Amino acid sequence: MSYYDIDSILTDAQKLPCTFELEVPGLGILEGNPGDNIKAGTRIDLPLWLGEMLSIGARLGTSRLVTLDIPSALSERVMNALKADPRTVDLRALAPHFYSLSERVLELFEEEEMVDVLINTFKKRASEIADHAHNPKGALGDGVEFLRGLDETERQLFRVAHDSAKETRIWAGEAKKR
Amino acid sequence: MAFPLPRGITPPEISFLAEMEMVTILPRQRLEGLELLGGPVEPLLPPRRASLPLWLALLLKRQRRANILPPTWLHPESLSLILEIETQHHEYQHAFSPPPPLPGQPSLRDRGQRPVAVPRYTPDGGRYYPAPPFLPQNVAQDHVPSGEPPSLPFHWLEVGTMLLDAASDDLVDPDQTRRLLKELREVRTAKIRSGVDVLDVASTGGGGVALTGVGAMEVGEGRGFIAGVVDGLRKIGASKEQARREQMAEDMANGGYDATQDDDDDMEF
Repeated sequence: MSYYDIDSILTDAQKLPCTFELEVPGLGILEGNPGDNIKAGTRIDLPLWLGEMLSIGARLGTSRLVTLDIPSALSERVMNALKADPRTVDLRALAPHFYSLSERVLELFEEEEMVDVLINTFKKRASEIADHAHNPKGALGDGVEFLRGLDETERQLFRVAHDSAKETRIWAGEAKKR
Repeated sequence: MAFPLPRGITPPEISFLAEMEMVTILPRQRLEGLELLGGPVEPLLPPRRASLPLWLALLLKRQRRANILPPTWLHPESLSLILEIETQHHEYQHAFSPPPPLPGQPSLRDRGQRPVAVPRYTPDGGRYYPAPPFLPQNVAQDHVPSGEPPSLPFHWLEVGTMLLDAASDDLVDPDQTRRLLKELREVRTAKIRSGVDVLDVASTGGGGVALTGVGAMEVGEGRGFIAGVVDGLRKIGASKEQARREQMAEDMANGGYDATQDDDDDMEF
C-alpha cells in the first residue's frame, strides 16, 4: 500500500456505515440537505477515510463523534455464504476492492472469526483462479461467471498467473506470440 | 511500477541461464581448445567425449560437428520411473520427486546418515563446496551407481526441451521422451496449484514452505502467482498476526516465555 497506489485510493473511497452520536451543525451536506444540521443518531454511509477520522475519538477514549459499523459487504450474511462455498459468491458485486476493504475493516474491528473465513475464502478462490489462469483461452472459457465475480486483488492475481503461464507456453513453442 | 516486465525473470532468461549447464558431446571434428569466460574448453578430438556448456554443444550440433549424448535422466526409462514416483509413490503425493543429491549427501536409501559436505578445490587450492549450477547434472554417465534412483536436475525442463528441439536424433526414442516430459510437467504443475492450501503457513511470521525439487522454470512460472497469494494472505491475516505478536510480547513481559525466539518485526515478502 503506497501513496500513489490507485487501488488503495479507491479502497479509501468505499463506504462504511456510520452513526452520528452528536448533533453536528452545518454538516447536513453529507445527508444531502446543505445548510442543515446532522442530528444525533443519523446513519449515513461515509467513505472509509472520513469515517475512520471521525471515529478516532472512540479509540482515544473521549466522546466519539460517530460509531462505525461493519459494511454490508462483510456482514454476517456474506460471511455465512463464504463459509458455505467461497466460490459461488460474487465478491465484485459486494465491493470492487473486497479484500483491501476487509483488510482496513479488520484493522478497525477485532474479528478473529472473520479473518479465518476470509483466509479460507482467499485460498479456495486462489486455487480456482490458478485453474482458470492456466486455461489457454484466458477468461473466455466456461469460468466467465466466476471470473466476473473476482475482486481487484484477485484480478491482479489472475493476470499474473495467466501471463506467466502464457509466457512459458510461448517459450516452449506451444503458443504463438500474440 | 513503470517497469513493464513482471517481477522475477522471464522464461527466455531462465533458459538462457540453463544454457550454462555442462553436457557431454561426441565431436565429429577436431577443434582447438577455446578460452571462454566461463572457463577453458579442452581441445576436441573426434573419438573422445568432452564436456561443453549446453549453448556451445547446441551450436556444434546445429553445424553437424558433434553429437550430444543425452544425460541419464533424459532417458524414457528414467523419466517413466520419475513419473511413477511423482504419481504413485504415497510419500510424494503432494511433494516433488527429490532433486539429485549433492556431493556428500546421503542417498535416499540411507537417509538416517548425517550429510558430510565434500569440498572441492580450485586450481589455486582454494576450497569450495559446489552446488547447482556448478555441479554437472546433465552430463552422460557411463555407469549409473546402482540403487541410485534417477532424479530431475534443477534445469530439467529447459535442458530437456532444448535437447528435444535441437538434438532429437541423438536421444533415445524422442517421441516417448517428449510425451513423458509433458506428462511430468502436467503432474508437477497440478502439484504447485494444489499447494496453495499450505501457503498460509508462509504468510505468518517465521513460517515457510519447502520447494525442494522444484525446477527453475517451474519456480519462474509460479513466482508471480505464489508471491501474490502469500502477500494477499499476509494482508488479510495482518490483524491476527498483530494480536499474536502482542500476546507474545505480553507473555514475554510476564516472564512465562523464555526470550529465545527473536521477534522480527517487518517480515516482508
